[in-house]
Amino acid sequence: MPVRGDAMKSCLIVDDSRVVRKVAGRIIQDLSFEILEAGDGVQALEHCRKKMPDVILLDWNMPVMNGLDFLRALRRESGGTKPVVVFCSTENDPEHIGEAMRSGANEFIMKPFDADIIESKFAEVGLV
Amino acid sequence: MDETAFQEIAELALQGSGQSIPPEKSYLVEARLSPILRREGFAEVEELLACIKARPNSKLSGEAVAALTSKQTHFFSGRPALEQIVRHILPKMAQASKDGVLRVWCAGGSSGQEAYSLAMMLEESDDEALNGAKVEILSTDICDKITAKARAGRFGHFDVQKGLSIQRLLSHFSRLDTGDWQISKTLAARVGFRVHNLMEEASGLGLFDVILCRNVLSGMARPKRSQALLNLARQLTDNGLLILGSDETANGLITGLAPSKDVRGAYSRKVAADALQTAA
Repeated sequence: MPVRGDAMKSCLIVDDSRVVRKVAGRIIQDLSFEILEAGDGVQALEHCRKKMPDVILLDWNMPVMNGLDFLRALRRESGGTKPVVVFCSTENDPEHIGEAMRSGANEFIMKPFDADIIESKFAEVGLV
Repeated sequence: MDETAFQEIAELALQGSGQSIPPEKSYLVEARLSPILRREGFAEVEELLACIKARPNSKLSGEAVAALTSKQTHFFSGRPALEQIVRHILPKMAQASKDGVLRVWCAGGSSGQEAYSLAMMLEESDDEALNGAKVEILSTDICDKITAKARAGRFGHFDVQKGLSIQRLLSHFSRLDTGDWQISKTLAARVGFRVHNLMEEASGLGLFDVILCRNVLSGMARPKRSQALLNLARQLTDNGLLILGSDETANGLITGLAPSKDVRGAYSRKVAADALQTAA
């Protein structure tokens, strides 16, 4: 039986697509993470102020507050440097990727993704 | 595909590349041959077999043998062995080298990810002895199509996201308009590609300080494994090392080759190259 509660690492999935949240959530759950969801950057910040997740899988284009603005805000929050942020976006040209990385992302997944890609990228940042 | 056809295909693979295809993997045969069947307009494997039997040793026969081998790999596959080579083995060899040239052979290198991964690590290394040396990497595969793909150095969206960090992707590749990613000219200049069948002797490729042959022998029938090992070990320099996959062994298959005392998981030649022999 998987470990529950504090011993289990948490992953906040931030994406305005419910389908993407469900697909990514199922994959990351299988890597033994507790899953939290947010539909935009503002909701995500609210989650983080309550409790910082261990990992954030972050979409770029979202209503209200986009991923890049969220990331910059997060890194200024108290405890906001702690979460490992894996950007996950269709904006996959080197300029956009570079901007995300300079803004404080730890890894970058180019959409579309599959389970192997998520596991490989999580391994790159030492999460699995 | 009926049982007779499967057995004939399995025999073709065994004689052509040493590959052993067990009956429970017969599904692989149809999957791997399907591009050839489609291209040639064959409705089933039996038609391909009939054409091969009518003209043995034809180009089509060689293509079928090559298509049957596994192409599966990803960047930095079996990472600890690659790290050991670039951080420990090659720097030591570079220090001892007289001419400063070291040669590495990726045998059964598929689409080039192993060779390019080594090239990336060499590019990133700050080891002085290593940076003063010239490390040549040769990647070979039995399949000419996959070798051409490797040489082109273009990788798709999914390939570049498996085993490769985003930093490495940005440092060593450029994005093409097609959405594929092109390996940098610097890395491409470090790696050469040749078509080569491990069942054949390899003196034409020259001698190597490090030979990597991972997850290739395990797919071969035992006597063919011995033959492949002999062909590989004969191309080792006097201090050269042969590295197999982490689940693979050369023990009992060849005499004159033994586990290295210095490097765990590597083999070195204990006798002159021409005194190496396959084990009975």
